[in-house]
Amino acid sequence: MIEQYTITTTPKYNFPHPATDITLPQRLVELSIRSLKNALNTNPIQLNQQTIQQPFNNQTRLNLKPIPLNPKHDTTVVAAIDTSSMKIGETATGMLIAIRGATVWKQKSSYRYLRIGPFIIHITEENKTEVYNALQKAYSNTQSENQQQNLQNHQIPTRLANLLEKWLQTTLSKTLNGGIILFDGSLTAGTPDTPKGLMKEILNTARARGNVALAFSKMTTLRINGILITDLALEHKPPYILEVEGLRTKPPTVMLGEVYIAKLTRGNCTFRLDIDKEIPAEQRIEAVERLLGNDLLSQGYPETLRLAHILCTFTANEVIAMQYFATRNYGLKLVNRPNMHKLLFGPFGKGDNTS
Amino acid sequence: MRLYKKEGNIVQILSFPDETVEKGDYLLIEDGEVGKALIAQVIDVQFASIPGVLEELLRSLPDGGELIQGEDIDPLEIAPHITYIQDASLLICKIRATVESESLSPSSSWLPSRSKSTIKKLSIPTLLKLVKVGGKLPIIVGGTKDSSLLTIDASDLDGRLNIVTGKKETGKSHLSKLLMLSLVGYKATVVVFDLNGEYLRLGMTADGKRNAYYDKIHVLTPAQNFKVPFKHLNLHVLLGILIHALHLPGTSAREFRRIWQSLRDRDMLSLHELGEAIRNWHCNQHVRDALFSRYHALVNSGFFTDENASTMLLEECLFKAKEQGGAIIINLRNTSSIDRQIVVEYVLGKLVELLTSWKLKAVFLFAEEAHLYLRETYWDDIVTRMRHFGIFTTFITNQPDTIRENIYRQADNIFLFNFTNEHDLEVVSRAARVDAETVKSIARELPPHHCLVLGKVVKDFPMVVKVKALDVETMGETRLFFKEAN
Repeated sequence: MIEQYTITTTPKYNFPHPATDITLPQRLVELSIRSLKNALNTNPIQLNQQTIQQPFNNQTRLNLKPIPLNPKHDTTVVAAIDTSSMKIGETATGMLIAIRGATVWKQKSSYRYLRIGPFIIHITEENKTEVYNALQKAYSNTQSENQQQNLQNHQIPTRLANLLEKWLQTTLSKTLNGGIILFDGSLTAGTPDTPKGLMKEILNTARARGNVALAFSKMTTLRINGILITDLALEHKPPYILEVEGLRTKPPTVMLGEVYIAKLTRGNCTFRLDIDKEIPAEQRIEAVERLLGNDLLSQGYPETLRLAHILCTFTANEVIAMQYFATRNYGLKLVNRPNMHKLLFGPFGKGDNTS
Repeated sequence: MRLYKKEGNIVQILSFPDETVEKGDYLLIEDGEVGKALIAQVIDVQFASIPGVLEELLRSLPDGGELIQGEDIDPLEIAPHITYIQDASLLICKIRATVESESLSPSSSWLPSRSKSTIKKLSIPTLLKLVKVGGKLPIIVGGTKDSSLLTIDASDLDGRLNIVTGKKETGKSHLSKLLMLSLVGYKATVVVFDLNGEYLRLGMTADGKRNAYYDKIHVLTPAQNFKVPFKHLNLHVLLGILIHALHLPGTSAREFRRIWQSLRDRDMLSLHELGEAIRNWHCNQHVRDALFSRYHALVNSGFFTDENASTMLLEECLFKAKEQGGAIIINLRNTSSIDRQIVVEYVLGKLVELLTSWKLKAVFLFAEEAHLYLRETYWDDIVTRMRHFGIFTTFITNQPDTIRENIYRQADNIFLFNFTNEHDLEVVSRAARVDAETVKSIARELPPHHCLVLGKVVKDFPMVVKVKALDVETMGETRLFFKEAN
């Protein structure tokens, strides 16, 4: 069941093959199978639940200063990580969730990927903390810095996907040399999703191997004078970044990156960009310039990161297949539980999410 | 397979990749609780509309149109399930009958249970047995997809109007030869209008030896071994030729009738005397010119003679065939358009004459590309009036629009080969014994030598058959310039 991380070694993309951290934690596979087997004796899965992908985001405040960029074409490997989670059904005692992660890297002129999952896990009120803690230990070898006993059911898919993402980030930071690692989200740590220690360790490891970690946020809550920073209309010719200064975060949240607003191509798309704080300012800017010279950018967003997102996202077809898998392999009988909103309010009942 | 939807007489069935079902296959949808089953035929196979398939396909091609290279670590082995769902197909099926207590009815008014019905493939032999296709006079048409033989009953061609159609080089003539020889084998009398000389050597095997039909194939080549003694001509037949084949106006036809009667009264009926009579007849000069031009057309055809010797009489061949069965092949190859019409008018006129006088019981007429020699008014005659005389026609054509719509509507059996042209399929689909969807969907994808059999011979259960090979000199091949080089 355990697969080796099999990226071929190349002069520029020199992956060592340590056997410890970068093997797929068997714990996840075991948990997945065990939870499904336990679900056999519980009530049927509910099919008509919302199946929305869970984005990761964060909140801050800022000041601005523009920096023009010149693409640098010296060959650099650009790698990106993203994960997805999805609730694929409900049982009387819990829910069935699926998680999957993808690493994409641009090697020479072509993109390659490694996709892990999907893992299907049956989460119940009784086992949710146990599952989360066990996975956290197996993935990051750290114990929770926050109170995991308050874990809400709706947070579980996101949290589990986050664990997988952190593991993929750790793996990449330990295997890539002199490259650019793209994360989806920010470099804010100290949240339940992102323990400070683990995030620091990832960044330290990446930095030690000459890598620079860049985190792109598609959505941000940062505002200046009430306007979202990504909505500010500035009269500069892209590509450029704007440095955000004087940011404060409430403990225990810490920002491990310098925050910028990145407008890398023409058009309306602007992103929040976090770059590892411990890297000197010039190198941070150079890293963005190397990204511009080595990756495609569509709507100002790196193609590598876009592909990572696309590859890990669950399609409706896959959801049906996973439901079919759970039915066929674990004997779960699928039943459509009536939607109470539709039942009570007819066309005015818009589903469980709008209550 | 699971029953998904029913609209009118169309059912949609969800099928999974490990269930191999193709167009033309029959399915039995059985509802055990009500003790009934539907027989449905697959007329189209589509991809099932699975949500998310487009996204699935799109994300596999994001790298400039090239497949993105990578590795999937899938410890739970979900991927085969994804492929399984993705490759599910939707079978569009036409309901052909309902089976209840082993009896068939064409009804599709009941609805089988979606959750409890079982769906299985119905093999052709089982279906044939169920619908009682075949009979005492079997004709093996060929093999079906599940390696069984499709056998029709010759009596289902008796008294029927048949159409064999399909585009060029798909095997129409081959099937018509098979039907023709099979009928001859059952001692039927067959007349063939052979436009391209394809039927001339049906009495020989492919390697040039005589076969069982050798003595039953009578080839009549107009102006060679098929000449008509002028004095044996019936006035009605001759007037038919003059009016319909040679377009003689009515006034001139009346004068001709008088000339004929005058010659007959004097017992001087001959081509030569007819010419002299027209020359000396007191009539309008235009009428004389009109009669003369037709007279020369008759003479130049070489089909009529004043001699009795060295001519093969059509009647003789027909009477011979009446006893032992046989085919009279009217070889129209190398015959001009006018002469062709003269010969056809004569043959049809003679057949009607012999049939009305009960000298012949019935005749199976095979007409290839009939629009090239059959006058407009004969079409209706053939399908209505002549049928009552005992002329049972099989039209063979690669241009379905040359056969009029009312012929299709009255056709009892249609042997349909491949057509890709929408217009052609549209024409054929007007036939009363078939639904347009079946024709358009199945005929479009028939491989060469495969035929969709529709009508009474298959009890209105359309079946696809690969027409069996014949050990005869078929002579239907196209002559090729580059044949040697190839």
